Amino acid sequence: MSNATLPVDELHRNVPPYDHNPSAWSQRIPICILAFVAAAISTHLSLFQWGLIESAWDPVFGDGTDKVLKSDTAQRMYGILGIHDAALGVLAYLGDAILGLAGSTRRWQYRPWMVVLFGIDVIPLGIVSVVLVLIQAFIVGSWCFLCLVTAVISLILAYWAWDEVRVSLTYLWIVWKQNRDRRILWDAFWGYRSPRLDHAAETLLSRSAN
Amino acid sequence: MWGRVVEIMTAVWLAVSPFIFDAASDGVVLWADLGVATLIWVLSGLSYWPPTRRAHLLILVVATGLILWGRFSVLPPTPVHQNHIVVGLFLLMIAVIPNRASQPPRGWMQQPGEVQ
Repeated sequence: MSNATLPVDELHRNVPPYDHNPSAWSQRIPICILAFVAAAISTHLSLFQWGLIESAWDPVFGDGTDKVLKSDTAQRMYGILGIHDAALGVLAYLGDAILGLAGSTRRWQYRPWMVVLFGIDVIPLGIVSVVLVLIQAFIVGSWCFLCLVTAVISLILAYWAWDEVRVSLTYLWIVWKQNRDRRILWDAFWGYRSPRLDHAAETLLSRSAN
Repeated sequence: MWGRVVEIMTAVWLAVSPFIFDAASDGVVLWADLGVATLIWVLSGLSYWPPTRRAHLLILVVATGLILWGRFSVLPPTPVHQNHIVVGLFLLMIAVIPNRASQPPRGWMQQPGEVQ
């Protein structure tokens, strides 16, 4: 994999206020691995919802998982979505992993659209997981162990993804502040290059870390 | 080009899914799935050719159609149509991945002075 004329250092610079590069592989690979784990857990839950296995694994709440996954709330969501909610969870976690794997180690600047899309997938997923846990507690009245595990994973993913999303949004904000030009902001969002966008990125990179 | 490879593999799954979900006797489903799979193969394949390197973005349209067909053609969706919804949603995520996804875009591979 060659980076042609691009100096390697340019791809690995730390981005203030962080003392690391939020788009580095060391930051993104753990997110992808955890997302794949959550996708595997959700696959197990969706196999139960599809009736392909007799029961879902739950060492803590016994048949609580079965009750949650076959509850009226789950059936209502199935009626709306056309697929089971656990299957949608599989897709959402796979989306986290796929969008986490795509892009270079400076994608916060080179492909902000991808980081924003990644953030839209990861951060609301964390909120939805908390809502689903609250539904378990207050509407269904049962608990599902693996659903709680995936909810915790979702929150960890949202926490880990936040730095990169923040840096990308800050870069776009600097582009807007320096130019007040929607066209340049549009170009920055889609990752086009111009001297003014180089200048905006350098402004961000030269900030002092807190 | 891993995004394109995943699209091609997903299209293989779509092509064989009428047999997996026991819907091969339904001619519409069988030929539609084979047709859509072929279309995905063509669009992914065209993405390897520089003049049509963005052809994979048209898979977004195909995926949206697949989701709508799966969701609304039969109520509630049968297993083969649920498969269309899942495959469509998955393709929506994959189709946005650029061809050289792990490298900077072409414009950023040049020295600043070379930028137009």
